[in-house]
Amino acid sequence: MTSVLEVRSLRKIFGGVKAIDGIDLDLFEGEILGIIGPNGAGKTALINTITGFYRATEGSIRFRGVDITALALHQIGRLGIARTFQNIRLFRRMTVLENVMVANKTFSVAPLRSVLSAWLPSGRRRAAVDEAMEFITLMGLAAKADHRADSLAYGEARRLEIARALAGRPQMLLLDEPAAGMNETETAQLVEDIRTARPRVKAIALIEHDMSLIRALSDRIVALDYGRKIADGVPESVLSHPDVRRAYLGDDEPATAGAAA
Amino acid sequence: MLLGQISNGLVIGAMYALVAIGFTLVIGVLDKLNFAHPEVFMFGGVVGFVCAAYTSVWWAFPVAFVVGGLMGLLTEFISFRRFQSEDAKITAALSSLSLGLVLVDITHKVWGSEPVDLGLTSGVFKEGFTIAGVKFLWVQLIILAITFALMLALHLAVSRTSAGRRIRAVAESPANAALLGIDVRRVTQTVFFVSSALAAVAGLLLALRTGVANPEIGLTFGLKAVAIMAIGGMGDLRGAVIAGLLIGVLEALTFQFGLGRLGEMTVWVAMLIVLLWRRGGLFSGMHAGEQRV
Amino acid sequence: MIADQLFFTGINLILAWSVYVVLLAGNLSFAQGAFMAIGCYASGVLTVKLGLPLVPAALAAAVLSAFLAMLIGWPALRVRGIYLIMVTIGVTFCVRVGLENFKFVGGVQGFGGMMGADLTTVMVAVTVIGAALWGLSISPLQRILDAVREDDRVAESLGINTAWVKLAAFAVGAAIAAVGGALYGHFMNFVRPDNFDILVSIYVVLYVILGGVNNMFGPVLGAAIMTLLPEYFRVLAEWRPTIFGLVIVVMLLFRPEGLLSFRVITAKLSQGTRR
Repeated sequence: MTSVLEVRSLRKIFGGVKAIDGIDLDLFEGEILGIIGPNGAGKTALINTITGFYRATEGSIRFRGVDITALALHQIGRLGIARTFQNIRLFRRMTVLENVMVANKTFSVAPLRSVLSAWLPSGRRRAAVDEAMEFITLMGLAAKADHRADSLAYGEARRLEIARALAGRPQMLLLDEPAAGMNETETAQLVEDIRTARPRVKAIALIEHDMSLIRALSDRIVALDYGRKIADGVPESVLSHPDVRRAYLGDDEPATAGAAA
Repeated sequence: MLLGQISNGLVIGAMYALVAIGFTLVIGVLDKLNFAHPEVFMFGGVVGFVCAAYTSVWWAFPVAFVVGGLMGLLTEFISFRRFQSEDAKITAALSSLSLGLVLVDITHKVWGSEPVDLGLTSGVFKEGFTIAGVKFLWVQLIILAITFALMLALHLAVSRTSAGRRIRAVAESPANAALLGIDVRRVTQTVFFVSSALAAVAGLLLALRTGVANPEIGLTFGLKAVAIMAIGGMGDLRGAVIAGLLIGVLEALTFQFGLGRLGEMTVWVAMLIVLLWRRGGLFSGMHAGEQRV
Repeated sequence: MIADQLFFTGINLILAWSVYVVLLAGNLSFAQGAFMAIGCYASGVLTVKLGLPLVPAALAAAVLSAFLAMLIGWPALRVRGIYLIMVTIGVTFCVRVGLENFKFVGGVQGFGGMMGADLTTVMVAVTVIGAALWGLSISPLQRILDAVREDDRVAESLGINTAWVKLAAFAVGAAIAAVGGALYGHFMNFVRPDNFDILVSIYVVLYVILGGVNNMFGPVLGAAIMTLLPEYFRVLAEWRPTIFGLVIVVMLLFRPEGLLSFRVITAKLSQGTRR
């Protein structure tokens, strides 16, 4: 299996807090990797460090063979890593269409060229709009293309984030708790949305608390606790792993009561 | 006369520090720039003029403190309370800037655009004593004494009292402070009152030193405090004091040693150098360094 | 008389636009007075001392300003926006003090002999700059600027080099201000460093705030109102700072985006590019 992402001995320390305390992780082409763990386990810190929002304190991150550990945010974005955010960070005062069009790397990578294109035949502009609409339609938002991003319902806003992430034609997509705050129906819809997105990228990493989403989508799961990886493997084995259950449920697990005494 | 220049510089620096403390307090708690601050500083001198004219100039101290504090409250109410969000920083800065302009204009209309003589006749302001061949004026000592007393009082208040604890909590994180039951608005108002009161007193002290109340002083002297705050570290009180004194002396020395009027640039060049060398200024402020996400 | 007023309105508009361009990337600059000064003095030296015609001199001054802006902006912009505000204030003071001590261009006494700018020149400049801004507003770069303004970290994660974008905006703003300064100097014939002090920088920012920060027409409105109205209403002229100060304070309380709302206009206009 081709490796898309290789994380080795990653550490991220803030002041005295070890947000990430030595993590090894692989993401392979074609798979959806679920990342689970209780609050504070370091899941978001992990995504932030991989994507460049945080600088790693120690360790290395390789993306498709390229060492991205010390790269700047925009360089990492240009290499083909896209993400969504736990607390949805859309460009709120821009329209849905504009949000997606900004991600179009033809322009974002070469802003100067884009100024000149204003005077070029409108074919170029139309192509950009059409391309954006493709992603917008993919995520079922075509009807709201001209609406401001901050007028969207919660589920729609999530989908817009995904559409925007995909519009950059990334190789790898990282989703940070996309189901946060969603009910069952919305979550089911989200499963469909992610399945739709899947063929567009080489690999997906999915951070989630919602086990139904994780179970429905993950090919493999990695479990974190206190900044470390505590389990790694196929869903059945990880989800029944004693360390994972302890992390979520605490130490008073009836099955181990006898042994703990 | 090196010693004379240095002492001069320390006196000016103490006044810089007093104004910078006000700026940095507001930055520490709200993370916003209060651009009305320099003009409140200017107005302290006007208060001095008025008091000198109608009663005794010594009454100007409490009056300036109170008037300055009230102006601070007004500024908070008009320019800061509405604008709570992240991108409201610029709006608050612009609103307070406009308020400052209004204050200057009103001052021009009532007292004129030229510096007005306070008419200080008492010997305290003109005379001094000599040590080691250097002349020190009584007024300089008074300024140093008052500024240090105020800074000490503020330091004790912030570090020892419960009100000070609340201020530090809000500076650390307004959201967390609110969750802990702290009345963030009350703390903000207190901070504005104190910072503006100090600025007005500083303006009064400068007027006593120069003998005149100058309506233009806000944009020249007062605005430098912004640079001093940056040098000392945003939100760091101790930094504001040290930076103020340092710059005061540095400026005095640059003026003295042949650079003449170019000395005006000292504080800004110093700020640029410090920012290049240490992004956050010399000290880290009431809240520790931030990690941008 | 009216020609003079229109001339100054044009200059103020150019300066307001220079603030607007920097604001597009989310930064507030109080240095436009300084860049205006650099533009004026640089072009003045080229025309008076070296005999160049006005247009190339102004353009050269603009390029110089842009270059200096990049030097100054580079350290300041990489940190936080608030530092840029302070650095630009410092720049304005330093440029003014520097000019006062620069004997070659007259120091405090001033610099004279510039001529050749009139209403037509200003109109041409306004048209050219306006057309450029218009072109910008319908180009993808406008969206990129909007994104950088809305959330620069997210914009960065999409692959946009926000540091470069902000720096470019700052440099272009400086160039535009320099053109304004060059035209101003060559109309006034004689200028002094204190024509370009911090108050000028503050006022041009306020023109933009008054008229509306969010599209290129706001500065037109703001510059026109603040330059022309006081000519016709005495009370405005006498109490200009107070009245405008209060208007802006009130406006910011009720309409932080300014008198015109930009998204409405540019969104409607971009409809034309679709279907």
